[in-house]
Amino acid sequence: MSVTDTVGPPAGPASAVSAGVQTAAPPTRRSRGLNAGQRRKLRTGLLFISPWIIGVLVFIIYPVVYSIALSFTRYSGMEAPTWVGIQNYVTAFTDPLVGKAASNTLFYAIIAVPLGLIISLVLAIAMNQNVREVAWYRTIFYAPSLIPAFAMSFIFIVFLNPQFGVFNRVLNLFGGANVNLLGDPTGVKIAIILMAQLGAGNAALIFLAGLRNIPKTIYEAARVDGASPLRQFFSITFPLLSPVLLFNLITGISGSLQVFTEAFIVTNGTGDPDNGALFYMMYLYKNAFGFAELGYASALAVILFLVGLALALLVYWLSRRFVNYDVEAG
Amino acid sequence: MISRRSFLAGATAAGAALGLGACASSPASGPNVVSYWGLGAADKDKDDQVIAAFKKTDAGKNAEIYVDQVPSSGVADMSQIITAVRGGSAPDLWMMDRFNAVQNASIGLLESIDDLIEKYEDVSPEEFKSQWIQFSIDELSYEGKLYGLPTTTDARGLLYNEDVLKDAGVDLDLFDWKNHVITWDELSDACEKIVKIDKRGNYERFGFAPWLSEGWPYTWGFGLDAQAYDNAASTVTLDSPQWESVYQLYADWAEKYPYASVDAFFATYQPPNAPPSQTAMFSGHLGIDTTGPWQISANEKYAPKLPLKFTYLPVAREGDSTYTWSGGGSLVVPTGANMTKTLWEFMKFYAGLEGQSIVVPQFGNLPTNLKAITQKKYNPKAELFRTMLPNSTCRPPLPVGSAMWDALTSTKSSVALGSSTPGQAVKTNQARIGPKMELFEGFKMPDTYGKPSPVPGS
Repeated sequence: MSVTDTVGPPAGPASAVSAGVQTAAPPTRRSRGLNAGQRRKLRTGLLFISPWIIGVLVFIIYPVVYSIALSFTRYSGMEAPTWVGIQNYVTAFTDPLVGKAASNTLFYAIIAVPLGLIISLVLAIAMNQNVREVAWYRTIFYAPSLIPAFAMSFIFIVFLNPQFGVFNRVLNLFGGANVNLLGDPTGVKIAIILMAQLGAGNAALIFLAGLRNIPKTIYEAARVDGASPLRQFFSITFPLLSPVLLFNLITGISGSLQVFTEAFIVTNGTGDPDNGALFYMMYLYKNAFGFAELGYASALAVILFLVGLALALLVYWLSRRFVNYDVEAG
Repeated sequence: MISRRSFLAGATAAGAALGLGACASSPASGPNVVSYWGLGAADKDKDDQVIAAFKKTDAGKNAEIYVDQVPSSGVADMSQIITAVRGGSAPDLWMMDRFNAVQNASIGLLESIDDLIEKYEDVSPEEFKSQWIQFSIDELSYEGKLYGLPTTTDARGLLYNEDVLKDAGVDLDLFDWKNHVITWDELSDACEKIVKIDKRGNYERFGFAPWLSEGWPYTWGFGLDAQAYDNAASTVTLDSPQWESVYQLYADWAEKYPYASVDAFFATYQPPNAPPSQTAMFSGHLGIDTTGPWQISANEKYAPKLPLKFTYLPVAREGDSTYTWSGGGSLVVPTGANMTKTLWEFMKFYAGLEGQSIVVPQFGNLPTNLKAITQKKYNPKAELFRTMLPNSTCRPPLPVGSAMWDALTSTKSSVALGSSTPGQAVKTNQARIGPKMELFEGFKMPDTYGKPSPVPGS
């Protein structure tokens, strides 16, 4: 049995467009057609959401536009910006540390994002079990996500300590010499990837909401047809969770491109050893606030924004092949 | 029931009250008011002592000094001060790492104090500046103007634990700075004797590694005549053979003592962010370390019974000149500050004989004020470092100082780890810093930079 056999074809974009065509009024008529009461309601509505509108304009749109403008200048944060054209972008593509920071970030994203999705999905399934103590389990599984990243970093520093840390104790049981994972360029990245997994509870909650949205009748029908739990997972749960998976994938990629706090604390802001934990955001931060090169840092931010946007669009485009909106379509 | 109009009016009034309340903590400016970003929360008592002493003077009796101990997220992180200056809430006076002066002056973050000298002093600027050791003035000078007054300074040397050395059978006379300057070969032999390895292959006791603690590229660079900037040609020279020899030192040592093993040793006995009492030296696991006079106060506080002593940095051959470098603090005036006579008097008091006499002995480091040096206003245990001062210098005062420091230190670990050769490291450094410095075409460091800084009576 497959999902499409039981719930039929999805209501795709085509049907939505056609529905819009049938009901849409000419735009000029719509804006002018409000009566006094509707206009008052519109004003009230706008007034209520005005903090959000102002917040987006002041704290998101303006900084983004300003940052794009700064990226074409040399600017220290103090004196007036000096126009340098695309010089900052040329420098970014020849700066050896940009390549290093980008490859570190890519390494992190390639491992941390899929690993995070798997762990959060497993957590969500565990949180969704029909047992009496489920509320306790949910609290326990979610609790690590409440620990601030900086506190988590210190916990990991102790956890990986060569003398006292649990990691080296286990290693010693097998006769191994003490190692300092945080002192190795690859080890420190792996440590930060593992650290990030303790925040999987947030994505797990979103998966849990998706899981609870899947009609039980589908599972009942599958059981009647003799489908095993594994078959049910791959033929029902996974396809119907795909919109949630897509959401978590895009937010996971976005988050991984901006990894900063853990690396900053673990390496005391240096990115060492051997720039092994110099992630893109950290290098950007160093340029902005350590070297007072806000123009160059803005160019790095614009490049990151474009890469993030391109990746999100790529994932969204690829998602057409695997995302199933049957549950949302009802 | 409350009307919508009343609700909106009430909400607006509450918002305005909150806003005004937030502004109310800023001190009002006036001719006797000085707002000051101090030494930091841990050293607040030292600031308080200087302020109390200043208020007892004629110049300070009416002064109102408001101190904020603003934490920094890194030595070179200027985000707080830039935000404060741009937001119009900057202090009038700021205790800053002297190394950042030229970079901060070059971006317009600091006010030159030349006008204050001209306005309030009866002597020429040159005569006024001669009250402090020359390298500390060089470090605060940008394009011929002075941007602050120096407070404390230091120097680099080797710290050793006599008990560890004796136990390992090392000849202690090699470390007696009054009679001998240790060579790299002698240091290497001593380290071989000190090292103890357990059955799992971990270092149980370790001698010395040049990349640890204050073993920065600059530290060894000054001993190997590695110049970061050619003043005559106004070019960065980080790819010189001398710089390559600095990195070769790291590579050679790492071949003998692998970086990963040394790192595991340190993470064991002196993990990152450990309290100052928890060091490999204090626990008797480390024989020799590169450090400075600031270590004296920690030694006295946390290991008063350990026989910890200092000596010069190692030289290549017997008879070679000794070398070191000095950093330290400074009082600077952020852009837009209220530049009053009271501010100037407080600055002079803090950086002068009186202020340095209060602060310096407590820190364990050294004064920059020549009178304070000659009157020995420092911990007597810092005498070795005091003798180093006339031949010491500061790091190159360049507008790209932070980036240069970052480049040099990050390639240090690359070479020690073996992921980069010394030749590649110096090329990377040059590629990173050369283009940045090209933006300051024709830049010149002070003519006195790198020359001896005479101390009367030395």
